[in-house]
Amino acid sequence: MEKALLAGVRVIDFSWIGAGSYATKILADLGADVIKIESSTRLDSLRMAAPYKDGKPGVNRSGYFADRNTSKRSVTINMKHPRAFGLIKQLIMQSDIVANNFTPGVMDKFGLGYPAVRAMKPEIIYLAMSMQGAEGPERGYLGYGANIIALTALQHLTGLPGREPAGTGTNYPDHVPNPCHAAFAVLAALRHRRRKGKGQYIDLAQVEPTVALLGPTMLDLTVNGRNHECNGNEHPWAAPHGVYPCAGDDRWIAITAMSDAHWTALMATLGTPAWSAEPRWETIAGRYRDRVELDLLLGGVTGKWQAEILMNELQARHVPAGVVSTAEDVIKHDPQLAHRGHWVRLQHAEMGEAIYNAPPFRFSRTRVGLKSPAPLLGEHTREVCAELLGLNDQDVDELIAQEVLK
Amino acid sequence: MANAASAPIDIDTPPAALEGLRVLDLSGAMGNYCGKMFADMGADVILVEPPRGTRLRFEPPFLGDVAGSERSLAYAYHNTSKRGVTLNLDTTDGQHLLRKLVATADLVIETEKPGVMQARGLGYKALSDIRPGVVVVSITPFGQSGPYAQYESEDLIGLALGGLLYLGGYPDAAPTRVYGNQAYLCASIYGAVGALLAVLEAESSGTGQHVDVSMQECVVLALENAVQFYDLEGTVRKRYTGEQRFAGTGSFECKDGYVYLMAGGIGANMFWARSVDWLSDEKIPGVERLRGEEWTKVDFLKSNEAKQYFREMFVPWSKTKTKAYLYHEGQRRHIPIAAINAPVDLLDNKQLQHRKHFVEVMHHLRDKPMVMPGAPYKLSETPWCIQRPAPRLGEHNAEIYAECGVNSADLQRLASAGVV
Repeated sequence: MEKALLAGVRVIDFSWIGAGSYATKILADLGADVIKIESSTRLDSLRMAAPYKDGKPGVNRSGYFADRNTSKRSVTINMKHPRAFGLIKQLIMQSDIVANNFTPGVMDKFGLGYPAVRAMKPEIIYLAMSMQGAEGPERGYLGYGANIIALTALQHLTGLPGREPAGTGTNYPDHVPNPCHAAFAVLAALRHRRRKGKGQYIDLAQVEPTVALLGPTMLDLTVNGRNHECNGNEHPWAAPHGVYPCAGDDRWIAITAMSDAHWTALMATLGTPAWSAEPRWETIAGRYRDRVELDLLLGGVTGKWQAEILMNELQARHVPAGVVSTAEDVIKHDPQLAHRGHWVRLQHAEMGEAIYNAPPFRFSRTRVGLKSPAPLLGEHTREVCAELLGLNDQDVDELIAQEVLK
Repeated sequence: MANAASAPIDIDTPPAALEGLRVLDLSGAMGNYCGKMFADMGADVILVEPPRGTRLRFEPPFLGDVAGSERSLAYAYHNTSKRGVTLNLDTTDGQHLLRKLVATADLVIETEKPGVMQARGLGYKALSDIRPGVVVVSITPFGQSGPYAQYESEDLIGLALGGLLYLGGYPDAAPTRVYGNQAYLCASIYGAVGALLAVLEAESSGTGQHVDVSMQECVVLALENAVQFYDLEGTVRKRYTGEQRFAGTGSFECKDGYVYLMAGGIGANMFWARSVDWLSDEKIPGVERLRGEEWTKVDFLKSNEAKQYFREMFVPWSKTKTKAYLYHEGQRRHIPIAAINAPVDLLDNKQLQHRKHFVEVMHHLRDKPMVMPGAPYKLSETPWCIQRPAPRLGEHNAEIYAECGVNSADLQRLASAGVV
């Protein structure tokens, strides 16, 4: 079998909670040896965030933590202990990438700021993912994905006019924009190092990738002077384009009629309701002008349908439509995700069988598979000490007794 | 500010991480940002458009609000640093020319429905016969095979079937989608990661491969912990805008808008004490009750009683303060609080200004540069850099097709036949 894409790449990973851990998960799932540096004296707080297996809290029971830390090894080291630095230095000397998502200054306190790490190993790739970046008046500011989506304007732009901004209901920048941009930057830096032998420093301010995804909106402001406001599920020119009720409790379907052909097929599928004969619905311009009224009329006829049946009927006529899937739907009822093998079930020592996301791409020649479930806290301390630090069990016992490995 | 005028390359220009890579971007809205990521890091990305132009050219916003194939700002943003050619891939001559281009390419980005490229004789297998090292990344709504592979999709459909739409919006209204084609963009940026992984491998092994990216799967990766809540606790997460997630965590009204406060953080409670100290210093009536033991318990923080108490205590005060005051004062005290900014606020943001985030890029229909978001990451050795503005339709036909051995007489013939 072909070897994993990132086989032979080692990451010393100080990242925790959201975006950092998700970025190094991408590298780990693709074959890098990601060694997560943790400590019971300062837990990755996601280990203590719901949901937990059977609802029972425990440092090794959080599904929130588990999904972000597949395929990694966990080593517990108390970075505040004076002997920690020497151990970490030996690990870094055998690694390619050092990653963290602390606010600027934290790594320097450990003696592991970029200048210090570069001095030990010039070819290191050093990924720093603070919220606001390494320099500037707000560099010390902190926050989670839910704060970041607020800062970027994406939250302001999402929701219904005149109501509280809605956002995604999640810490969205943590899950795709920041990890993907970070992984891309690291891979680009790896290529540069392979070709030129040089390492480098990557300063990713977690606000900026999401701002970068709002380019057209920012250009409409800077070029045309338009300050966008939220507009629900509306499209800039197409209608109907929205979410409509279906049979059952809180069931919905998304329908987007982008052309006259879509509209004609949509009406035919819905049994050509009497109101649809009005001439104003014949053109996209007419449908768009009266889109609010159109949405109400359409919602009046979709409600009888089971969402999945209506989706399949519409798709059979080439109308873009999709069930508004719940978490239960994507896990249990979606035949496409099942076909792609998206959900991976792994045996975890404390959680038993639990569900994990596979990466969203398939390679024709190299296999991508999660190596292992999330590590228990410190699960690989002895293994890594033996393999990379040349320490025997007695040495490790001593370091544990001295609370260095903790 | 980046100078993106087509100035000659300065000998002091720093090296680019992706220099020497040639990328053919055949994609549209679902893949153009993927191509931009490669281009802004130094790859030679050639946008290959149909003779009438790619779909993004016809998407708003438009320069001066006037539609036109050279006026789309969405197009202008998503295609920076690329060169551009036109090519009709549904003609034999067009397919022949693409094969010539592929002979020099390291990566092809395409977003056609599964099967379309094969029917043109341009599927992965055919392209790898021409150039074994080439990587083809196919970014599609649902992937190359499976029951939904031929389903139609738009951004909203990807958000729906990916499960993110259900989590967004208000409990008393229909689910509300995240703004700005995020499903397309999730596919584009995950596509970029998958593509670069395969390119790096191909550079060492000499053999490329086909990378199959599903937009739906990319969106599923944004579900936070909703999937684990169902798997581990049997609960289905719902939309909750207007409610606090925990007492002290949510959007709160202020004098000129909203702030997002996470007084308790996630799974950590050092922030709670700091938040209470702050509100206490501000002399807000009723704040001392927040020091009680019950406020350290997640179950209590999730109760309506706790949420209601927090809101009734906090909002009468927060409504007298600006979002800027709350943001800076809270952050001074190391509390995770953020202003809910509008786009216009970003232009005034001192931090983004300090980092020179926004850059100037020329547009041939304007006499002054456009200001747009810049580097999503700062690399010390190989900085992100816009090489040139997005190409005009067919701007580089002559220079690129000449590289493929097409002389000007042939090019004229192909143009009149509607191939380029």
